[in-house]
Amino acid sequence: MFLLALIMAKFEQAVISGAGIGLRSQHYQEILADKPEVNWFEALTENYFGDGGLPLHHLEKVREHYPITLHGVGMSLGSTSPVDHNYLAKLKRLIERFEPAYVSDHLAWVSVDGHFVHDLVPFPYTEEALKNFVNNVMQAQDYLGRSLLIENPASYLGFDCADMTEWDFLREVVARTECDLLIDVNNIYVSAVNHGFDALEYIKALPPERVKEIHLAGYEDHKDYLFDTHGYRVHPPVWELYRSALDYFGPVATLIEWDTDIPGFNVLMEEASKADQLMRAVA
Amino acid sequence: MTSLHTIQSLFYDAVFDRKKDSSALSEISEYINATPGLNAQDHFNIYRDSIIATLNRALREIYPVCCRLVGEKFFNGMGTEYMRSHPSCSADLAEYGGDFAEFISGFKHASELPYLADVAQLELAWHRAFHAADESGLDLAALDEVSETDKPHIVFYLPVSASLIASEFPIQHIWQVNQSDFEGDDRVDLDEGGIKLLIWRQDYTMRIDPMDDVEWSILKQIETGHSFDSLCTILSENKPIADIENILPVLVQRGWIASFSIDD
Repeated sequence: MFLLALIMAKFEQAVISGAGIGLRSQHYQEILADKPEVNWFEALTENYFGDGGLPLHHLEKVREHYPITLHGVGMSLGSTSPVDHNYLAKLKRLIERFEPAYVSDHLAWVSVDGHFVHDLVPFPYTEEALKNFVNNVMQAQDYLGRSLLIENPASYLGFDCADMTEWDFLREVVARTECDLLIDVNNIYVSAVNHGFDALEYIKALPPERVKEIHLAGYEDHKDYLFDTHGYRVHPPVWELYRSALDYFGPVATLIEWDTDIPGFNVLMEEASKADQLMRAVA
Repeated sequence: MTSLHTIQSLFYDAVFDRKKDSSALSEISEYINATPGLNAQDHFNIYRDSIIATLNRALREIYPVCCRLVGEKFFNGMGTEYMRSHPSCSADLAEYGGDFAEFISGFKHASELPYLADVAQLELAWHRAFHAADESGLDLAALDEVSETDKPHIVFYLPVSASLIASEFPIQHIWQVNQSDFEGDDRVDLDEGGIKLLIWRQDYTMRIDPMDDVEWSILKQIETGHSFDSLCTILSENKPIADIENILPVLVQRGWIASFSIDD
């Protein structure tokens, strides 16, 4: 019975549904004072790597009222350097303290030989890169004792030595590790425009049962390419693609992300409510 | 076929152009696809610009007063120079820029602002205190219970968030008038002279506390980890002579001494 209770507790902790909102420091006070009706919040992992102080204090207070997920940009799973154990130790400390429903990072590299660029840089999708990425994901998952969600990045360059598509690469990563997927529909749209592929083909190629979370955000049109700034409302073609994604994946928990020119919390609530409506339509 | 590691190293070198001859940029561009409207270098530059902007934003967040003193354009230029010789070695951007003050002091284009490096030191101390571990303050009851034989062996500690900073310039005044909510006369006379500061965090409140020379000499000695006994000996030989028995309770009351242990 005890084991069953333990499994149930873990199960309950892992379930999030509906629309969530990216937690940003500008909104701490409003969230803690008003306790708005939000299904869950996503915290940016590295923002809470400090030893103490207000950021951790605020996250603790938010966690008392809401489920959270942890979303990182620094694990550098695509790097040829080994996964940084210091990073994993800090992440594990956060996981133990805040019990996130999901822990995610990106299909990208951000560091090489211990030097960080702090940007999600793509790499050529080759068998060598696949083995490297799979190895890093497995190392990280072993250390953390849980599976990760891997998110597709928005990208602005492609390599001529790539011999598989991003979606084939992701499918192989999922097949070879225990990880699941976080699909950023805006990123698929941005990359599809930038590289000239069919966004729907990407979505249809993914295993729906492994898609545990979706991200939505706004991009910026730079004429020759789209740039993923997370600084706008979700654009109409991305909502359209999201509708199609929900048809394939089902009503997967969806995050509204906003990182630059952060608006009032009500704007994020409006976007979340729109995502909730679309999810209800396919539920 | 070129290895993934080679591609990543070339990419990194091209971003910061560490060889200052654009050779890495030429090499990495050979691996990047061109698209209608954008050649390989255009694609690469999207990342380079974004990376440099991110690191400069991180520096501006840690050093907002320095940025205000020199203007964003100059600050970003200085930041970009800094990046070339100071790689980021942690996934946590908040850890970047730890030796920016030292860099500024040797940056010849900033030599007209001799106080800038000291202001940067103050801002770094503030930033570190903001993220430092939480602490409950000195346990007075436990201190009271220390036996007479153990008392000489007490080692006091400053708050874990604390930094001691001395400058020959009025950096606290400079910092104050450059806060976004400051109202009043924002002129600072550099002849006001220097200052000694303890920058720390009390619960979640940030503190910048000025102090006199005696307090400074005591805190500097405490920082080096002397036992109470040797602290008394050293301070009695120092000029100015510090009356530690009377001053210590004041320092404790201010929260400047946050914990203690008994030296074996």
